[in-house]
Order: sequence, then structure tokens, then C-alpha cells
Amino acid sequence: MIRSKPVAIVGAGPAGMSAAISLAECGIRSIVIDENGGLGGQIYRQSPSTLRSSKFTQSKEASRGLQLKQHFQSFTEKIEYLPNTKVWGVWEKQLAVTGQDGWHLIDAEHLLLATGAYEYVPPFPGWTMPGVLTPGAAQLMVKSMHIAPGRRVLIAGTGPFLLVVANALHDAGVEVAGVVESVRRSEVFKSLPRLLNNFGLLRQGWDYLRRLGRAGIPIHTGHVVVEAEGQNQVEQVRFAPCHRDWQPDLSRAKTVEVDTLCVGYGFVPRTELAQLAGCEVEWKNELGGWIPRVDEDLATSRKDVWVAGDGGGVAGAAVAEDEGRLAGLAIARRCGAIDDNSFRLLRAPIIRRLDKLRRFRFALDNLSQLRPGLSTLAKEETCVCRCEELKRGEIEPAITAGCTTYRTIKTATRIGMGRCQGRMCWPAMARFVASKTGQPMEKVGNRSVRPPIIPITLGEMAEMEPSDAVADQGRNS
Amino acid sequence: MNRGQDVIVVGGGVWGSAVAYELAIRSMRVLLLDVTLPGRATSASAGGLWPVGEAVGLGCGVIYHATGNSESGDESTPNVLPDLFRDFLIASNKRFPALAKTLLEQTGVDIEFDIGTGLMFLMYTDYEQAIVDNIARSLPQEQRLKILSPEEVVQVEPKITHELTGAALLPEEHQVNPMLLAEAYKRAAIRAGATFRHDTQVTGFRRDGDRIIGVEIGEEFLPSNLTVNAAGSWSRKLAATAGIDIPVSPIRGQVVLTERLPRILQGCISTSECYLIQKSHGEVLIGSTTECANFDVSVTHDSITSLCRGAVRAVPMLRDVGIKRVWSGLRPGTPDELPILGPIEGVTGIINATGGFRTGIVAAPLMAEIVAQTASEESPTFPIAPFYSSRFLETVID
Ligand SMILES: Cc1cc2nc3c(=O)[nH]c(=O)nc-3n(C[C@H](O)[C@H](O)[C@H](O)COP(=O)(O)OP(=O)(O)OC[C@H]3O[C@@H](n4cnc5c(N)ncnc54)[C@H](O)[C@@H]3O)c2cc1C
Ligand SMILES: Cc1cc2nc3c(=O)[nH]c(=O)nc-3n(C[C@H](O)[C@H](O)[C@H](O)COP(=O)(O)OP(=O)(O)OC[C@H]3O[C@@H](n4cnc5c(N)ncnc54)[C@H](O)[C@@H]3O)c2cc1C
Repeated sequence: MIRSKPVAIVGAGPAGMSAAISLAECGIRSIVIDENGGLGGQIYRQSPSTLRSSKFTQSKEASRGLQLKQHFQSFTEKIEYLPNTKVWGVWEKQLAVTGQDGWHLIDAEHLLLATGAYEYVPPFPGWTMPGVLTPGAAQLMVKSMHIAPGRRVLIAGTGPFLLVVANALHDAGVEVAGVVESVRRSEVFKSLPRLLNNFGLLRQGWDYLRRLGRAGIPIHTGHVVVEAEGQNQVEQVRFAPCHRDWQPDLSRAKTVEVDTLCVGYGFVPRTELAQLAGCEVEWKNELGGWIPRVDEDLATSRKDVWVAGDGGGVAGAAVAEDEGRLAGLAIARRCGAIDDNSFRLLRAPIIRRLDKLRRFRFALDNLSQLRPGLSTLAKEETCVCRCEELKRGEIEPAITAGCTTYRTIKTATRIGMGRCQGRMCWPAMARFVASKTGQPMEKVGNRSVRPPIIPITLGEMAEMEPSDAVADQGRNS
Repeated sequence: MNRGQDVIVVGGGVWGSAVAYELAIRSMRVLLLDVTLPGRATSASAGGLWPVGEAVGLGCGVIYHATGNSESGDESTPNVLPDLFRDFLIASNKRFPALAKTLLEQTGVDIEFDIGTGLMFLMYTDYEQAIVDNIARSLPQEQRLKILSPEEVVQVEPKITHELTGAALLPEEHQVNPMLLAEAYKRAAIRAGATFRHDTQVTGFRRDGDRIIGVEIGEEFLPSNLTVNAAGSWSRKLAATAGIDIPVSPIRGQVVLTERLPRILQGCISTSECYLIQKSHGEVLIGSTTECANFDVSVTHDSITSLCRGAVRAVPMLRDVGIKRVWSGLRPGTPDELPILGPIEGVTGIINATGGFRTGIVAAPLMAEIVAQTASEESPTFPIAPFYSSRFLETVID
């Protein structure tokens, strides 16, 4: 079965939703596909009705989410929404998707990728132990599933998201033993002038801090977690003050007893689909790593594929929303639904807002940019690739033997050959290789992506009629 | 010698790495250069060691023929390669047990040489049965295929479909991990004194009259007494930089890999639709198409679909198994499906080690041996002259 739509949007987060809204307002129909059961993406994930009246739903953030969703849902004629559906491949202008009723192809003239980001966790001793999870996973547990991830939790890594999660856990009645942030307090103060250009967002951060302060939750700035320890489950966590490059000073390490460690060092854009579509990517450390190269209206090197939101560079929900709007308008113009003049008029205020937001984000991201000391955390026997169960010590001989790029190291060690295709291991190992060899990240290289990016069975694949699949193909790419 | 290397080997796939090793253990000063290009055959390969199976066309060859890519023979029977090449592959295959041991000792790399029940070609129709009977009769006594009844097939391979007319078994045909084979050769070469430069794209051979005097890497020039062209599917482009034509072209092969499974296959399986090999980490590799698509290394939806269909037909339980990924690679193909080895008529200072096509893994050990022997002016353990590139000139003159 093939469905056809002028525009297919992958991701129903702020970026994908606002793009669909923009398009609908211009009279263009789109199909929005998301693997989750509800609208909202990561930040506005639907919470079950039991939580509807909690603190979260009353917050400004939640009301923005609700507004977007209602706006989106008001366009039932123009927007087809496909929840619980995963996109696992891209062939020219076709998306291969699996949903509840097997899998099929979706044909589209324009493809907008609004796929968001993954959390980033570099390997350190004990990171694969039960009881270690990402802040996002912990947040999901309390926000949507209403389960506490643990009794006593330490939150570590970098970035304002840690504060968000610390508050969410505290509100849910979990004991938060502290927040460990690698950036130093003095560095934050130095960036204040630049952060001040977005007073609203800055104040939001301040609120989060104040609430933690009132709850008596300590914030250890300028520290990194160096090890999670325990028999079969986290029992204690060691953290230490770090130098400016985030290399820990182990002689001054402290231990805290917790049963859960949430650790996350920001986000990595989800670029698999863009890579499968053949879009060029470039290395942008401040935006989370490899991202598709886009023009000022968010079109990729493949002019019929567009990228918006965190999937095109991590910059937060507000930027995602405006980028979605911008991409939607640009696609509408390309389809001839609006003329150049209207496009310019509609585009101007978005660009102004984006400029301001991005300046704020850059100041923030500059602070939280990953530093080389993180690559020193894994010990020789620390697992660095979960799928292939490789230890750091198994990677080094390959580097010594002259392998210094993704392809050569993968060939020599099997790193990245597992199920996750290097998603979980390579961002950190690339940094490790870069720091070992003194090469820039561009040279070390990006992981390659192969379909299916989400597992699908042979049977499902075999049932597809090849004649079906090729029908309607053969247009320019 | 004061200037340059004795030998520069261009291309660090399994062929270049094997040649570098064989040269290095002959005390030559070897420099191995490689840029890992998308489509590198060795990275994409299935790693089947099927000398007879491939020579008579019951491995990947049957698919090659079924897709109408083969130039010789009629449409309905697999292509049979010359006896000489079959003997070459058999001799090369015999080297693997000792080679695996040597490479492990020298480099610590296990090439995952895996002895199973052999290569089993499944026959679905009477017609396929007739073809196989024909092939069986043509083989010398010592290489006879064993014909199995459907009941016997199930005893050897319980997971195979029962809807068969029978199967042909080649008991000496096993598998290896092709990437680790190349990696082990490379490390053994380095251990024997060779130098390896990765991420280095040779932009051309430098020619002085009738002699190749070294290679160019952009602005940089590296002189050498002898240059080996082991650049796989790219060897034609490379040769062209020195005005030499060798008829090598990329033949794309698409592959499907499953998630890891407990051992479900005891040996290698092939059918007229696909072949299946369970690799030592538990994944089942399903190959492969044979297509001319130039240097395009994408995968196509309909090819992947038909490979999956072939696999599910052969091993029904695979229906519910997840696909881990799909990919494609470029086999260095030649018009007569035979490799191109040895010196080039009219040009000195250069030697070919290319055209591995669909048997480049099983052929690698003996190929490297006779190329290195030729380079060091020893007499080769297997005749190399039939593989000279000049054979293509002769056909033109005829
Ligand atoms: C785990 C996590 C939790 C976060 N929590 C917060 C928070 O509480 N507060 C905050 O300010 N910021 C949070 N962020 C950051 C915030 O999500 C982003 O800044 C913002 O949501 C970006 O919006 P987006 O539309 O670009 O992507 P997202 O909101 O991430 O939406 C992308 C959507 O696409 C879907 N998708 C991706 N690939 C596929 C595919 N192949 N097939 C089908 N669907 C696909 C995803 O499941 C997701 O629903 C979080 C990020 C993450 C990763
Ligand atoms: C899908 C598939 C399945 C296969 N299955 C089998 C099988 O089961 N059994 C079997 O025996 N064979 C099999 N083969 C064939 C076998 O893999 C190849 O014949 C063999 O790997 C060829 O090795 P090579 O070193 O010549 O080429 P390659 O592995 O392609 O290596 C050539 C190298 O040269 C490099 N290079 C190219 N140009 C330059 C340059 N200018 N400068 C520097 N470096 C350069 C390339 O990047 C590459 O690394 C299969 C092949 C494929 C594609």
C-alpha cells in the first residue's frame, strides 16, 4: 500500500506540529508521523489524566503545549496524524513506515524531518549498571508513567535540563540527593550579559534554581561524576571537582549514597533519516554534533528535504517551534501556495525571534559545550559499546594500528555494528579518538546509517510486493 | 635502496592487505595505502569460502546468472568457470586452516574461520535438480557434490523448509569474517615491517615512458620500484591515470543482516534466490544481488524485499526475526569473471591484484602468494599467466 501526500512530516514535537499548522494555514495537506502515542514530542508529551491537574500542567510550558496541540487538532481536514508509527527507511521520495497494521510506504513531494534529539551520555565506570538512566528517562517515568525512578537520586551532567528534571523528581516526591553540573558557577556569571538578552528564558532557569535551593537540594557546580558503584545496582556514586576541561581531580572525589543516577550531557540531533535521504551533514559542536547542512529556510542539500527543530541542531523547544513554522512556510512557497511577497512578510518576524533565541542558546551552549576531560572518564575495562560489548581497552589497539576514523575503527573492532548502529557509542568514542589522535572531529567522521533505523522483521519486509514498491517511483531526487 | 619503498600497494581491502603481507614476509619494504571508500567490497562481503560452489555457479553465481548479468551461457543454467580457476580456488581454500592459525598467533586477530556442514544448495524444482545433476556429473571424482533428499536436509539443517526436492552439499565449503581477514593481514604485514597509511587517497600513478615510478597523493609524490594496483572496483580509474586500461567494473551486491540469533544454521545455504550465512556473532547474513549500478552504493527497496522473501522461503522461522541493517558493496568484476593479476604488457613497475569479483575472499591467500612471488621473481606456486590483463588484448586482436 502506498499513501501519497504533498508533504510528509516526521516528528510531532513542537517543530513538526508548528510546521503542519503553517502548511495547513497555507492550504497544504500534510501527514505527520510519530512513533509515540500522543502529540507533543519530548517536551509536551501527553501526561495521563491523573496528572492533568498537577503542577506540571499548570506551568507556562504545559499551556504552550496544550495550545499547540489544540491548534494542530483544529486542522483535521488538512493534517493527517499517524501516531504509534515509526519511520525506518527513506527511498528517494518514499518513507518506509511501520505502524500497528504492518508496514507501508508514504510518498511525498516534500519531506520535513523534525525528529528531535537523543540524550548524550559518555561512558564512565558503572554507566551500564541498573539504576543509571538518563534525565529524560527519569522525567518520562514521573511525568507520563507516574513511577518514581528510585528512592534517592543524584542528577549529573550539564545543562539546564538537569534542573528541570531535578524539580520534576522533587515534585513527584523523589528524594534528590543533589545536582552535579560540570560548568563552574564563575563561568555562568561571565556569560550572564549574553544570556540576559533573553530575560524570559533566563528567569525560567533562575526559578528552577530557586526552587531547588528552597528544597535544600545541593548543586555541585564544577564537578563531574566519575563512577557508579554497587553490587547489582547503583548503591553509591563518586563525583569529583573538575578542571576547566572537565578532567576530574580524583584526589578530591566524594561519595554519595543513592540508588539511582540520572546522567546526561546535553543532546545529540537525530539525523538518521536525513542521512538515509542522502542529505549532506556537517560537524557543529555547539549544536550537538553532526547536523544536516541547511540553507536559511531550512532546506537541506536535497532541496526537497527540510529539517526543523532539535533534529537540525539542538536549540530547545522555542527555536524548534519557530523553525517548524519557517520550514512550513518555505515549503508552502515552494509548492506555490504563497507568493514570494507574503513569504517575506510572514518570515520576517520569525527570523527576528529566531535570531534572539539563538543568541541566547549559543551563550548557553557555549557554556555546556562538551569538553575533552569527559573522554578520560572511561577506564580500560569500561564498556564503551553496549551492543558489541566492547571495552575501551579493545578500541585502543586499533587506534595504535593506524585506525583513526569511524570506518576503519568499526572494521577493526566492530564498534557501531550492533543494533543501535553506533548511535549510543560513537558520539562519545569519536571524541575519544579525536582526543587520542589530535584529529578534528570532522576527520574522525560521522557514523554511517543503514536502514532499517528501527528494527523490522524479515517477514514484514518480505510481504511487501516489489511492484507496489516501485510504482510511482523514478522521479527526480 | 635509498630512495622510496621497494613496493607501494594501493588499496587496503583484503587483496591489498594480503599482498602487502606476502611481500613483507619476503623482506620487501612495503608501503600500504588506503582510503576506505563507500562500497569497499571487503567490508560488504559475506565471507563465504565456496571454491567449487562459486566455480560451478551454485553460490552467488546462480543469482548472478538469474539476474541476467552474466554474459556467457544461456539464460537458464548457471555459468561454469574454467577448471583452472576452480582448481585455483580449491587450492586457495585449503590454505585457510593454517592461515587462521598463523594470523591469530601473529596478530591476535581471530578471522573467525568457521567450519560447518559445508555449502548446501537448496533445490525447489525438478528443473533445478536437473541442472545440479548435470553439474555433479561434470565434476571430477574428488569434488563430487553430495545430493541430499529433503529428509536428509532436515537432519543436517532442521530449520530449513521442507518444501524442497532436495539439496546439493559441498562439504568442504565454509566461511570466514572478511573484514577481520583483511585486518589480520594488514596487522601481520605491519608486524613483518610494512608501513600502513590510512585515509590516503592515491590520485594517480606517475609514469615515466614505459615505467610506473611511483604514486601521487595530490601534490605529494611517493617513488617506488614497484606499484601494486589493489584498488578493487576503483582499480580501473587508478590505472587510467597512467594511460592503462584494465576492464574492472563495480558490480553491486546488496545484503540484509538479521539481529543476533542462537545458532540456527549449521552451514552455508544457497538457493536460486539468495544465500544465507550465520556469522560467528549470531547474525544471519542474506546476500546478494549482482547489479551494475556504477559506484552507487545505495540499497533498493525491491532488491531488499526479494532477498527477504528468498530467505523466508528457505528458512521460514526467519519471518519473525528482525533486520539489523542492510547495505551494499562493490565487487571488482571483470568480463570473464576471472581476476586480473600480474604484470601489464608494455609497462613495467606495476603489477595488478584486482578483479576479485565474487570470490575475492576465498581467492585472497593464493592470489597474494602468486602476486608476491611474481614481484620477487620467484616462480609462482600456481600459474599466474592465465590471469594477466593481456588476455583481454588478445581477444581484441583475434
Ligand atoms: C528525552 C528528552 C526530554 C526532554 N525534556 C525536556 C523538558 O522537559 N523541557 C525542555 O525544555 N526541553 C526538553 N527536552 C528538549 C526538547 O525536547 C527539545 O528542545 C524540543 O522538544 C525539540 O522539539 P522538536 O520538535 O525538535 O523535537 P521533539 O520534541 O523531540 O520531537 C521529535 C519527535 O519525533 C519523533 N521521531 C523521531 N524520529 C522518528 C522516527 N524515525 N519515526 C517516528 N517518529 C520519530 C520522536 O519520537 C519525537 O516524538 C527534552 C529532550 C529529550 C531528548
Ligand atoms: C555483497 C558481497 C558479497 C560477497 N561475498 C563473497 C563471498 O561470500 N565470498 C568471496 O570469496 N567473495 C565475496 N565477495 C567478493 C569479495 O568481497 C571481493 O572480491 C573482495 O573483497 C575484493 O577485495 P579487494 O581488496 O580487491 O577490494 P576492496 O575490498 O573494495 O578494497 C579496495 C580498497 O582500495 C581502496 N581504494 C580505492 N581507490 C583507492 C585510491 N585511489 N587510493 C587508496 N585506496 C583506494 C578502497 O577504498 C578499498 O578500501 C562479496 C562481495 C560483495 C560486495
